[in-house]
Amino acid sequence: MDGERGLIELPLRLGPLCADGYNIFRSGIRWLIQPGQYCRANQIFAYCNLSLEATGIRMSGGLPPFAEEMELQVAFAPRAAGRILGAGAERGGYLSILGVDGWDAGAVIAHSETAAEPDDVDVERLRLLMLAGRRMTELADVHSGLLPGWHGRTRGWWCDEGERPVSLLSLGVCDATGVVIGERCAFAEMFEAATAPTQMIFVPDRPLVPAAPVLIDQLERKPAQAQAIAADMHRFLSDSTVTPTAEDWMVSGALLSVLQRSPIQDAYNLLTPSGTVRTKPADAVLLSLSSESQSILRHKSLGYHVHIMRHHQGAAGPVIRAWLASAFETVKRSIDDIRGDYVRLLDAIQTATGARALVINRMSTSGHEDISSYVSFDAPMSGTLSSIAAKEHNLMLHDLAEHRDLAIIDVDAIAVDLGGAEHLPDGIHQSGLIQAALRVEILHALEDLRPETRLK
Amino acid sequence: MIYAFKLPTINPHMSGARIECVYAEPGKPLKNGSKLFDLGVDLSSAFAQECPPVSFFRVVLREPVFLRKLNVGRGQLCEIGELIALFSNEADESLSGEPVRDIRFAVAGIIHHEGLWTGNVA
Repeated sequence: MDGERGLIELPLRLGPLCADGYNIFRSGIRWLIQPGQYCRANQIFAYCNLSLEATGIRMSGGLPPFAEEMELQVAFAPRAAGRILGAGAERGGYLSILGVDGWDAGAVIAHSETAAEPDDVDVERLRLLMLAGRRMTELADVHSGLLPGWHGRTRGWWCDEGERPVSLLSLGVCDATGVVIGERCAFAEMFEAATAPTQMIFVPDRPLVPAAPVLIDQLERKPAQAQAIAADMHRFLSDSTVTPTAEDWMVSGALLSVLQRSPIQDAYNLLTPSGTVRTKPADAVLLSLSSESQSILRHKSLGYHVHIMRHHQGAAGPVIRAWLASAFETVKRSIDDIRGDYVRLLDAIQTATGARALVINRMSTSGHEDISSYVSFDAPMSGTLSSIAAKEHNLMLHDLAEHRDLAIIDVDAIAVDLGGAEHLPDGIHQSGLIQAALRVEILHALEDLRPETRLK
Repeated sequence: MIYAFKLPTINPHMSGARIECVYAEPGKPLKNGSKLFDLGVDLSSAFAQECPPVSFFRVVLREPVFLRKLNVGRGQLCEIGELIALFSNEADESLSGEPVRDIRFAVAGIIHHEGLWTGNVA
């Protein structure tokens, strides 16, 4: 074919990757594609696990970089589209899991049959998508796939020589999760869209939904308050007449872990071609308006909030369920209460880190209802009808955006454009098409946070 | 005349629904706009998702009738097209005949509340 006349075969090399004071070791390559499969530019097609080993004797204590992120991987993508040749062969067994080879920048892992010019800058050098996961427990060491196991936080970043990525922290529910981590749960789709240097950080919505009161508590919580929460939980579990089950202990441990952290204030280490870079907390925080339910639990004596989705409450045993029922009270939240919580949260974020908030609004129409008269529904209708509640929430968000640095990611408009019944059937779980559109909106909202944009 | 309410297809991906709330009692007159049921539609069977995609809907009447027979109870799962209830124009009209048509009703998406079966009883 005419289009293939100019194809050439290029080696794909690892390229440089450094960690200050550490040697980087990697496992054997694991493939995500079939031999000869066509890959788009920036589409990840293989990955390996990484481990760091100190180059010399440590003079003093202090945790090494990535000490709390026991999952460290790198995925590979071509800089130019082409057919990937040489994929498929794996060393297998533990050699595909453990760090057995030193990082060799010149190592060729595959070839690409591509139309790219061989003198294109760096076309032979693979693009490295770094992936790191903070496990909820060291026991969650699953060995298969990208970012496998149970993590309290995962992140990924593109970072070439001399680049400084903009960071986005995702603190949403399902409407943010699928958009940010994608179908392989390793940010693959997001990073195919995000060609500029970017870091994506994801914190799951379990065990706690990141509703505004929960995030405010995390930002404002002092160590003594965290200790009081742990002591109270311990007291309830110890005093219970029912013996706590394994599920009780696991859920209480997960809750404590989340209650004692504030992801908005986390800073990050990055592996880059020229060494380890320490970055400040995320430049932007992605929130879901759908996290803000009309009721939330507040601890009766300690005053902190928890919000656990109904389908996640089933993970707890009888004692933790009894604790939630007796130690907490249900607080109803009007639209004004939610607005007030958002104002407090946005102001607290500004004070703590200065991050911009991006908020995914709510789908506010449904093709599945056919209301011919609203007489049947008591006022306030937003207390009953989900579409009216969603519209009022969305309007509230627009009001807030007048006075706060807030970018609205308008899933409501996108779903109407693309077709809600087809692409957003239950109002929150989107199709791939809507997720792709939302990624574009999110990346657009990050653009003016980039240093080069700020200088203009 | 006898009218039927069969479980409608609210969402093309649904295969059934749960009766979350029953607001009407057999024998009682119902006016236009009366609440009949709250339904829970779980799309889990259609979509592989970690978070169960459950939506709740309220069914309200669009004509005045008497509820005569209720075939379901709170918490019961029903299939699409299943006969849920029978209605008539008169309180004592015989139910021996076939329904002449489906009852006129409207469906509205609602927020989860404490009266629902899901999340409160189960």
